Amino acid sequence: MSLIRHLLVIAVLLGASVATGAAAQGSSLARSDRASTISNVPAEVLVILAKEEAGQIDPQLAKMTALRRPPFNSFRSMKILSRPKLKLTPGKDALVSLPNGRRMKLTLLRVMPDGRYKVKAAINRPDKSDYLPLLQVVASPGDPFFVAGQTYQGGTLVVGVIVDPKKTAR
Amino acid sequence: MDSPKTHDEKLQMFFDGELAPEEEAAVRRSLEGSAEGSAQLREWEQLRSAMKNVASDWAGELDSDALFARIENEISAPVVPIEQTAPEQTALPALRVVPGGRERRVWGGVATGFAAAAAIFLAVMAWPEPHLDPTPIARGSEVLEADFGSNTGTIFEVEGGAGESLAVVWIDDEEVGLP
Repeated sequence: MSLIRHLLVIAVLLGASVATGAAAQGSSLARSDRASTISNVPAEVLVILAKEEAGQIDPQLAKMTALRRPPFNSFRSMKILSRPKLKLTPGKDALVSLPNGRRMKLTLLRVMPDGRYKVKAAINRPDKSDYLPLLQVVASPGDPFFVAGQTYQGGTLVVGVIVDPKKTAR
Repeated sequence: MDSPKTHDEKLQMFFDGELAPEEEAAVRRSLEGSAEGSAQLREWEQLRSAMKNVASDWAGELDSDALFARIENEISAPVVPIEQTAPEQTALPALRVVPGGRERRVWGGVATGFAAAAAIFLAVMAWPEPHLDPTPIARGSEVLEADFGSNTGTIFEVEGGAGESLAVVWIDDEEVGLP
């Protein structure tokens, strides 16, 4: 009878293992499914006017240490001109107007299996494709990418795009 | 080279029918004049027939159906708690030698091994896996493709606050006027 009890214990444990494995796999599939069917993702665009002239660095940029490193370290003043928030929907264009009359078009292409976002960006004048026809980037939630170089009011526009800004990657 | 067989060995092999025909004929001829050898053969023959009789008697007495029925009853019998044991059963000795105890111990060890393996498997499966975490392991941003059009551009990587690599696309242009 002891043998039968041992076998019963084994059967119960193996059954529980299979059930847990199935649950974990189901959870993984659910996350994968969530990634592929996500409806929209918040995003934030930082439009900064940077100048080489001495001046103030906007306090809101103090935590963005990347803006103090090359190629941005030649700028001695930075001012946030606008900080629009938008929702990125997979496959749909989101437009952000820039102060120089151009528009930035952002499109969320997909959520990568590792949780990063694949984003397409373009900056042009309306109905033109004279500046940045195409840019494809992958970015972790909360980590920005920058497009810089447009001259404006004696300075340079630095445009930072942060997808899913409230989520901070570990 | 075969060692010469002793007389007893030859006689034993003759009895068992294991000699070559010419050797068998030679032994048979020697037995015709040997009362001692003939007596030995008769003694062996009596022993063999006695053993055959005992074996057939035992086989006839064994009821295999009853034996298997008894085993099945033992397996399916309900477990009786110690407190509910009948008084006459409590009189049994507390310890007794159970045939097959070694096998039970072996099975117990195997079962314990399986249980340990299952427990480890459970722990591994239930442990939070980093790759299942929605927070990505990869940090920063990177450029996959850039088309600068008629402009010249450069792609930089700048280090973020947490050491992550952040993508910077720098495009030179002439200032455009407002439309």
